[in-house]
Amino acid sequence: MLFAVLAAVVIVALNFFQNKVRNFFYLVSAPIQASLWQAGDRVSNFFATITEFRNLKKENEDLKLKVQLLLTENASLRELKKENETLRTALNIGLEKEFKLTLVQVIGKDISQDSLIINRGSKHGIAKNMPVITEQKNLVGRISEVYDDFSKVMLISSKDSSFDARISEQEIFGVVKGRGGLKAFIDRVPQDKELKVGDILVTSVLGGVFPAGLLVGEIKEVKKSDLEPFQQAEISPFFDIGKLGNLFVITPS
Amino acid sequence: MLKTVILLVLIFYILALAQASFLVHFQIFGMVLNVSLLLVVLINIFENPQKYLGLWSSLISGFFLDIFSTRPFGFWILIFFLAAIFVKLIFRKHVRIPFIART
Repeated sequence: MLFAVLAAVVIVALNFFQNKVRNFFYLVSAPIQASLWQAGDRVSNFFATITEFRNLKKENEDLKLKVQLLLTENASLRELKKENETLRTALNIGLEKEFKLTLVQVIGKDISQDSLIINRGSKHGIAKNMPVITEQKNLVGRISEVYDDFSKVMLISSKDSSFDARISEQEIFGVVKGRGGLKAFIDRVPQDKELKVGDILVTSVLGGVFPAGLLVGEIKEVKKSDLEPFQQAEISPFFDIGKLGNLFVITPS
Repeated sequence: MLKTVILLVLIFYILALAQASFLVHFQIFGMVLNVSLLLVVLINIFENPQKYLGLWSSLISGFFLDIFSTRPFGFWILIFFLAAIFVKLIFRKHVRIPFIART
């Protein structure tokens, strides 16, 4: 009983001097406390890092997924930008006034067959033999096969391609034929007509395949032989197969 | 006895320091293990119920925890002392551990 009373008195008394008592102990213990605090901090950080690993893994996976989504969005925006630029170019040269156009995108290329696959088909009003051009009015080819949602474009360099053309601003007519391997030539040009390297070929309305005035290419090499009734010339088509992305299909107005 | 008390003072001082500076970094469900209390309870369990070392331990450890805590002085002393008395009473009246002498 006496002990309890004594203890209570001591405790109450200590409360009056608690600042001094605590200050003394803090002063004495400060170096040890600092070391213990640092040690505790390091050890807990170490364990926290271990437990964080799982979260990091999940966070990493989430971020990867986010990056993928953003990349997809970015790619889609780039496509839209490209499409926008194509349309702007087409508007600038007044293509829409001359023809009724359907914007299409190239989704596949088969260079060995000189053909392209585009993302529009019969559902979108595409039909066989419709001309396909670039936004600069360069002739690319014509629709050779039509599916519901896709179409196949036969390039002017295809061996099966043949149409009438003429030298720009001159009355020289001929037939442009594909040679395969992205090459084409003009044939059936009378011997008395003078072809020059650099002459520009445009489509002629004669064959009825393409509307007149579409740019075909320029003459690269003239092959003239007295033994032949007609002269030929190699053509360099204006379109660049590597850069074909957005194209226009000329649909009947 | 004096040697033991001095030893207990040292141990409880170090434990209180560790409690305040080291163990606070390791919280489990927002709580920190009170090693001083654990030691006090263990001493009171395994001490001869007729001896008072366990009660002294509770006072010493409570004192040091009070030093390093922000609560009013005497809070931990009271808690530890009551815990020690509780354990001592239980073991004095209801529990008998074979290898601990009762006299």
